[in-house]
Amino acid sequence: MIKMQEPEKIFETRELNVNMGPQHPATHGVLRVVLDLDGETIVRLTPYVGYLHRGIEKLGENLSYFQALPLTDRMDYVSAMSNNIGYCVAVEKLYGIEAPPRAKFIRTIVGELSRISNHLLWLATHALDIGAMTVFLYCFREREWILELFEMICGARLTVTYPRVGGVRNDISQEFIDHLVKFLAEFPSRILEYETLIDQNRIWLKRTVGIGVISAEEAINWGMTGPTLRGSGIPYDIRKFMPYDAYDQVEFEVPIGTAGDTYDRYRCRMLELRQSVKIIRQCLEKLPAGPVMADAPKFVLPPKDKMLIITHPVNEIAYFIDEKACKGCGMCLRACPAKAITGEKKKPHKIDQSLCLQCATCFVTCKFKALKIIPGGKGQPEEKLVELSAQPVADEFKKAQEALVAHFDFIKKGPKVPEGEVYVATEVPKGELGFYFVSDGTHKPYRMRVRSPSFIHAGCLERLCKGHLVADVIANIGTIDIVLGECDR
Amino acid sequence: MTFKHFIKTITFIEILKGMALTLRRMFSRAVTIQYPDERRKIAPGFRGQHALSKRGGKAKCVGCGLCATICPSQCISITREKGQVTKYQIELLRCIYCGFCVEACPYGAISLTGNYEYSAYNKQDLMMTKEKLLSNWDKYMPGTKGEEYYKKFWRPMSEDFGTPPGQAMYGGKR
Ligand code: SF4
Ligand code: SF4
Ligand code: SF4
Ligand code: SF4
Repeated sequence: MIKMQEPEKIFETRELNVNMGPQHPATHGVLRVVLDLDGETIVRLTPYVGYLHRGIEKLGENLSYFQALPLTDRMDYVSAMSNNIGYCVAVEKLYGIEAPPRAKFIRTIVGELSRISNHLLWLATHALDIGAMTVFLYCFREREWILELFEMICGARLTVTYPRVGGVRNDISQEFIDHLVKFLAEFPSRILEYETLIDQNRIWLKRTVGIGVISAEEAINWGMTGPTLRGSGIPYDIRKFMPYDAYDQVEFEVPIGTAGDTYDRYRCRMLELRQSVKIIRQCLEKLPAGPVMADAPKFVLPPKDKMLIITHPVNEIAYFIDEKACKGCGMCLRACPAKAITGEKKKPHKIDQSLCLQCATCFVTCKFKALKIIPGGKGQPEEKLVELSAQPVADEFKKAQEALVAHFDFIKKGPKVPEGEVYVATEVPKGELGFYFVSDGTHKPYRMRVRSPSFIHAGCLERLCKGHLVADVIANIGTIDIVLGECDR
Repeated sequence: MTFKHFIKTITFIEILKGMALTLRRMFSRAVTIQYPDERRKIAPGFRGQHALSKRGGKAKCVGCGLCATICPSQCISITREKGQVTKYQIELLRCIYCGFCVEACPYGAISLTGNYEYSAYNKQDLMMTKEKLLSNWDKYMPGTKGEEYYKKFWRPMSEDFGTPPGQAMYGGKR
């Protein structure tokens, strides 16, 4: 007699292991996720991050606070301006200085512009991933507009490096304001266009409603922030709860969702676009006159025009060591880039005028006021220089010398920072971006740590995707709005 | 399913609305630019390739090395010999166009120009030498352009710490 085998024994099913990324166009950079599939359903999802790791935190520890600013552009390159602002606000707190009101308003304006541009890129790629090509093109049209506005104020479109610790790099121009007003008038109608295309579209609804649902409690437990959290109904926004820059002086609402699904998060971001327009408009109306850099001489670059009487007629100036005052410490000798200074220890040093570049390095190095800047001294014989150096120095010239020393000190040594540690969180378009600094009293951070929303959101991916179909992974990656540059740092 | 919902579903009204919008857009002016036949206008103060500025036909750079000190990517190298800056090299492949070198230079000797089209087939072409940088100044900052650049984008200036007349305001200058 033939014995029948159990059918289950013959057709044994196993989970299918699928690799998605790091070169997948819908993973928003180089995220790699490994999916364990039971048919079409996701059983397990493991995100692997780190493909874009550049060691920004470690690099930051080897650069002065001023120098490390451009690194933050390269974290979330989609909203570089917000990252810069976050960094500057944190360092300002560490320094104990505050940006002047006008700078704060300008920062708020550009920060919100960067929020709009971030959400536009998010909407564009999210829609493209789900299959709506037209929205992608329309969003890029407006994003281009914002990038042009950025170019107008700081000369760069993406990696802006515009805010500075203690203010902003340069004041905004009237031309910029006029263009911005035009943009604000036009933009709300453009938002309506995107909504006409997808808001009620049945494919869009099918792909987003009820996908990636997360309850308010769970969203908090997973550490979600920003619109990703607000989609679940928690009105947590750092701009409201711990206002920085000019957010306490403008009125805006924090849009929240109810269902906590992909569609609600989409709605939140669309409403945020409108709120951003509202914030920018208020900021423009309230924009006060005044300085754009903080009056904190130790912590910001000194004004350049103060040194002009030394640095501009540079070819007529001579540097000269006063023999009587020189202690022969050799500091200038070591500092001179042209090796123009000679001398023995404890004996007066001498500058070889034919080798001297007139760079002022020796002047700012000498602690004994032995070095003299002599206007019109170039090419003069030694005796004449001795004679000229004995003449009293004009007040204006003295001020210029001070500014020059401050400038060299700032660049070469960087401002010394009080010891201590700070953590400052700011609301970037993606969520809560936190900078944590430990300062050991030098000009570089002892430890720099970045709490990046993308990293934390990437961690929630499994929770969002489990039980859904493979195609929904794309929608879920889109909805948490991650940028891997920031996630991996 | 309500009656309204039913009508919406069978008439594809939301899809038709979207298509009407795209159809309308077909007849509006295109926003795309046909690069390289067309080029967009670069804003003043654009942070592109560097130039070493001149005064009276001579390079302003004295070789103090502040730009090289501040440069976050350490891509500037300077050699001085016999009271001259003999080599001033910027490695464009490493430069991140932050503009800190401009800010660090107290002499106003370096600037960033509007040139962004300098792709090359080999690395050597992307090493900016002193000669190339000086010729960039004549090429991209002719006439008073260079002066205006420094006036606007060589920051900070005293006016950034005060309230200059004619500051830009909403609804017209102050
Ligand atoms: S001005 Fe510069 S080159 Fe001349 S002696 Fe001083 S440090 Fe050396
Ligand atoms: S640093 Fe001043 S005191 Fe020291 S050797 Fe130079 S000139 Fe003399
Ligand atoms: S460009 Fe300016 S900062 Fe750089 S070496 Fe020349 S003078 Fe010094
Ligand atoms: S723009 Fe920035 S990275 Fe480039 S050379 Fe200047 S300081 Fe260095």
